[in-house]
Amino acid sequence: MTRSTAPGRSRLVWTVLPPVGALVVGLVAWQLVITLFHIPGYMLPSPATMCRTVLAELAMISAPTWVTMREAYVGFLLAGIGGVLVGLIMSRWRLMERGLYPYLIVLQTVPIVAIAPLFVVWLGPGAVTNTVVAAMIALFPVAANTLAGLKSTDRNLVQLYTMAGAPPRVRLLSLRLPSALPAILTGLRVAAGAAVIGAIVGEFVAGVGGGQGGLGYVITESAVRLRTPELFLAVLAACAVSLLLFGVVVLVERRLLIRWHESALPAEE
Amino acid sequence: MAAPLAQRVEPDTALVEFAAADKVFTNGFRALNPIDLSLARSEITVLVGPSGCGKTTLLRMAAGLTAPSSGRLTRRTERMSYVFQDPTLLAWRSVQANVELVARLQGVPRAQRRERARRAIEMVGLAGFEKAYPRELSGGMRMRVSLARSVTSEPELLLMDEPFAALDEFNRERMGDELLNLWRSRGLTVMFITHSISEAVRLGHQIAVLGTQPGHLVRLFRSPSPPAAELAAPRDGAALRELRIQISEMLGGARI
Repeated sequence: MTRSTAPGRSRLVWTVLPPVGALVVGLVAWQLVITLFHIPGYMLPSPATMCRTVLAELAMISAPTWVTMREAYVGFLLAGIGGVLVGLIMSRWRLMERGLYPYLIVLQTVPIVAIAPLFVVWLGPGAVTNTVVAAMIALFPVAANTLAGLKSTDRNLVQLYTMAGAPPRVRLLSLRLPSALPAILTGLRVAAGAAVIGAIVGEFVAGVGGGQGGLGYVITESAVRLRTPELFLAVLAACAVSLLLFGVVVLVERRLLIRWHESALPAEE
Repeated sequence: MAAPLAQRVEPDTALVEFAAADKVFTNGFRALNPIDLSLARSEITVLVGPSGCGKTTLLRMAAGLTAPSSGRLTRRTERMSYVFQDPTLLAWRSVQANVELVARLQGVPRAQRRERARRAIEMVGLAGFEKAYPRELSGGMRMRVSLARSVTSEPELLLMDEPFAALDEFNRERMGDELLNLWRSRGLTVMFITHSISEAVRLGHQIAVLGTQPGHLVRLFRSPSPPAAELAAPRDGAALRELRIQISEMLGGARI
């Protein structure tokens, strides 16, 4: 499809301008509050200080960011694959659904901060534990959405496949999985945010220093030492890690659903 | 490929036969009293009646999706297609892929099903829309895709469950014409369910009027002026109107 550039550009402006405007207004207000009320830097660093810190500490923050990123993304991948598999198994055998679902809910409702130390005991502190915690917290949304998606296949289509003599494998690959795809992708979107939270919570509890700590470790460390600019920087980096993953999932979602699913339609159509 | 219609008709053997077939569901609910009904080859049999008269149960029996509780069902073909009230398409596949779907599932070789799909798409007037996705089509067009799909597997028996009920009057009539064209060109045997008495009278060679509580056959009509094999053959409007009124009164002044 061809589209003239003018409306494309105006849409870009319409998408980009409001959040950027809000950011500028926010930064100005931030600076004003600090100057007017003489707020000390250890409580709230000024935007100017922040900018300086960002530039100065970019090298410092990149290593922990990379650590957290790896933990969160590997955890997300494990949860994605595992969640789809668990969903598949539960949808295939009713007994498995009955047997497993309650524990999935337990897994979801147990406070992650409370269970993380247990993993430290089992697996020792470090990236492996944090990855497992990330995967664990991200598993449920994928599994639950996959199951719901697989179970809501159009009955008439199932009947059509049955009448045509399609074996279960074909029914799954050609009908049930594709029709569950929007639900699976929704699960992955939720899981993307959850995995980063999981990795950072893991690091709060199990984070190791010595140049191997992730953002969670940097956050606890700089909070204790009142190095607020660094703390802010770590928070920003965590947001970036989260947003990047979320963005990739959304892009994949758009790409896969663009021609057929309502959720991928542009708003004005 | 199509043999002349006259040679295909074998009036002695019905393609589908219900012999005192009834249906009682496992919870004890009687959906259908014993019914005798024969579907002659290359004829359109329409089942008309109010909701809950067991029409769909009969159709599902004919499709082999459910068995009669007692009595007997004989179907002398395995080549059948089912058309639902909704288009029932794969939203993530193009028109072309959707039309080919059932033939593909049945293992029809690629080149062959392509050619069949091309002809079917042309027949229902969707040439040029092969690459479109269902979402991009109107309701009537989607139903045409569904109809094209149903013939691409080259069935002998077409089972249709209120296929045009969701369409507006105009599209409904056009789809009825499409069905008659299909029937003319392929000599299909059709089992067609509808709520609409006028649709029943327009399409049917044989019209089974069904009643409710539990579902039962009220009366079986032979059309006084059935759809003819020649497109241009005139039909006796007065006789059909008479039949319509008769059925309507039988169903207690229901929709004409």
